Amino acid sequence: MTHRLTRYAAAFALLATPLAAGPGDNSLTIGLGEEPPGFDGYISTARDGVLLTRHLFDMLIYRNPETFEYEPLLATGWTRIDDLTWEFTLRDGVTFHDGSLFTAEDVVWTLTTYANPETGARSQASVQWIERVEAVDDLTVRIVSKTPFPAALEFISGSLPIYPSDYAQSVGLQAFSQAPIGTGPYMYAGGDSGQFTLEAFDGYYQGGGKGTPSIDTLIVRIIPDTATRVAEVIGGNVEWIWNVPEDQVAQLDTLPAVTATLGSTMRIAMIAMDAAGRTGEDSPFADLRVRQAVNHAIDRDTIVAELVGGDGEVLNVPCYPLQFGCDTGAAVVYDYDPDKARALLAEAGYGDGFSVKMSSYRDRNRAEAVQSYLAAVGITVDLELVQARASFSAWREGEVGLWYGDWGSFSIADVSASLGNFFNGSTNDGARDPEIMDLLASADATVDETARKQAYSTAIRLITERAYWLPMHTIVMGYAYDSELNFQANVDELPRFFLASWK
Amino acid sequence: MLRFVIRRLALAVFVVFAISIITFTLSHVAVDPAAGVAGDSATDDDLAAVRAQYGFDRPLIVQYAAYIANVAQGDLGRSYLSGQPVTTLLAERIPATALLASLSILFALGLALPLGVLAALRPNSTLDRCALTLAVVGQAIPNFWAGLLLILLFGVKLGWLPISGSSTLAHFVLPAITLGSFAMPALMRLIRAGMIDVLETDYIRTANAMGLARRTVLFKYALRNAILPVISLTAVQFGFMLGGSIIVESVFAIQGIGYLAWQSMSRSDMPVIQAIVLFISLVYIVLTLLADLLNAALDPRIRGAA
Repeated sequence: MTHRLTRYAAAFALLATPLAAGPGDNSLTIGLGEEPPGFDGYISTARDGVLLTRHLFDMLIYRNPETFEYEPLLATGWTRIDDLTWEFTLRDGVTFHDGSLFTAEDVVWTLTTYANPETGARSQASVQWIERVEAVDDLTVRIVSKTPFPAALEFISGSLPIYPSDYAQSVGLQAFSQAPIGTGPYMYAGGDSGQFTLEAFDGYYQGGGKGTPSIDTLIVRIIPDTATRVAEVIGGNVEWIWNVPEDQVAQLDTLPAVTATLGSTMRIAMIAMDAAGRTGEDSPFADLRVRQAVNHAIDRDTIVAELVGGDGEVLNVPCYPLQFGCDTGAAVVYDYDPDKARALLAEAGYGDGFSVKMSSYRDRNRAEAVQSYLAAVGITVDLELVQARASFSAWREGEVGLWYGDWGSFSIADVSASLGNFFNGSTNDGARDPEIMDLLASADATVDETARKQAYSTAIRLITERAYWLPMHTIVMGYAYDSELNFQANVDELPRFFLASWK
Repeated sequence: MLRFVIRRLALAVFVVFAISIITFTLSHVAVDPAAGVAGDSATDDDLAAVRAQYGFDRPLIVQYAAYIANVAQGDLGRSYLSGQPVTTLLAERIPATALLASLSILFALGLALPLGVLAALRPNSTLDRCALTLAVVGQAIPNFWAGLLLILLFGVKLGWLPISGSSTLAHFVLPAITLGSFAMPALMRLIRAGMIDVLETDYIRTANAMGLARRTVLFKYALRNAILPVISLTAVQFGFMLGGSIIVESVFAIQGIGYLAWQSMSRSDMPVIQAIVLFISLVYIVLTLLADLLNAALDPRIRGAA
């Protein structure tokens, strides 16, 4: 009896011992919060999914995370043939993880398959501009758009991974999503019960923008609860996490074994107003003076200084400043002036104030701060702090007068991905201003950079003049990782472990 | 007895049907299912594409009828998110939940039974007071907080046990304690109350007077009578645990049904939600039926009535 018990106890203890990891075996254990719905980059479009896509697959072009310039990846050169056509010269000698050769056929098959709406690419904007893709020869390919599409290179470098046509066709997209093969610096090495492994691909080509990975193995663990993820980093079992709540970053950074930072992202936060009257014809925000009052009522500098942290910044434009077309000089800037706000409201006939529903999801403290600032000028805000999806739904279906949300633009460095999505008459658009919609439509339809810049500058001036939004601030992302790790966070919110290494 | 079982099964089918209709309706009415599948940053075109792909724009009755037709042929459908067959997803996750549930209920009973009996034997003593305090504390502390406290102590500070995951048996210790400590108080109090009642009855006094061994009186006579309500409660608690504790599985990153339920609900993954609800209903129905049968086996009076 005792003998058996000791045996069980020994086995138990052995089972409980964590496996050696980290710098010792050149592996990195990463904690993610949500399980990806497979590895198909066209379906798994949440942030965590995009992270994995960039490691398993390559796109034709690599956008440098610091300079935002395009560098060769699967394509070594590219030229514009005409307004609708880009021609790419492909890199020779690239192999997929299964050893098969990469050719133009793979590009043609992948893009044609996903441009077909029936395949079900989750982000239609990434693919619906493609008219056809043709192979000129084994290493040359042409991508033709339906109309002049200025953001083509942005999407090609950001959203269109290339798959092996033979393998994907033989197993089917469903199975491909569970056992992916790509040309990326890491290959899928299996996994189960909430954990999977990516191994550095030793056949990865040299000379591409991603370089050669230093870390041999990426162990990805799915840990849904934020507090548990943080506990795992403190305990040393997980060596890298993100989405760390801002108020915990400073505390974590004091631990010697952990480095915690708040990194800037391209994600912009705004308060959108129901100017179009979707909540009802009597929406107070249909009146310009009310919208201007909201712009004057909120002390954004204090909110950013106290509640955002890191290198978050106040925004005065409805786009991210580094995006093409985001002319910060064109905007009308409103200063924090609650007295002026009250005067404007009185002028508009709301001297006694009014009530409105506001939906938000990102941060309770910031939402409540906005609520108090508006209360101080007489606007009573009924705050609905819900899950992101429910909040988006509420705004899109016109159920709330105010929406304090944010938008990441899919990390696309072009204004068409930010304000282009919010003033184009879609369900995101609370303004429905025909003049602005026309400007955006014209800018989207030409590849002439000067004409686009002009149109966007005018649009930004009008949007801020008419105060449809109160642009708030950039969103910061909390990272926490092992102090021995060399890791650089990027503003495009895409961690690059192929550039990371152990000290 | 046979008629009893058949009647219960017929009722069960009706209940399962009703639940599936309610779940289906609520999921489609509460939040736009296309938004759940397409994700946060979906544009109108993305939503339209998803609606077309999954037929969300068809009338609810048509969608439900199509779903039921498939289920009747054994096809529970594919997850909208991952495209995997629902049966595969469930089969992968049920073992972890079943293991967690079994360990939790064993822990709960392992504490509740001895504590309840001992407390009943010495009512209002220090031991009794301690046991009741433990019960109140166990019921009052929220699951997720208790779990996090255990993680901090045993996982981070002491490093004795793994913090999250479900790959080894050691990974289930903290979650089982967390989940079990929530079920334990009610069981303990029920046993204690039942035992106190039974110990005051005439037949126990007679058994003692007849000179029967203390142990025989306690287990063969008293506990056997006091345990009937406990069996029913255990069945309900176990059913709840088998349905997957969303909170405990999320906190400890256990790949079970509970976490799958949370994931599918937040992304409106209808086929998975329906299948999980179906699974939980069946679990409850089977467990309560077994509990009733066990009670009937233990108590001849119930057998006669049935």
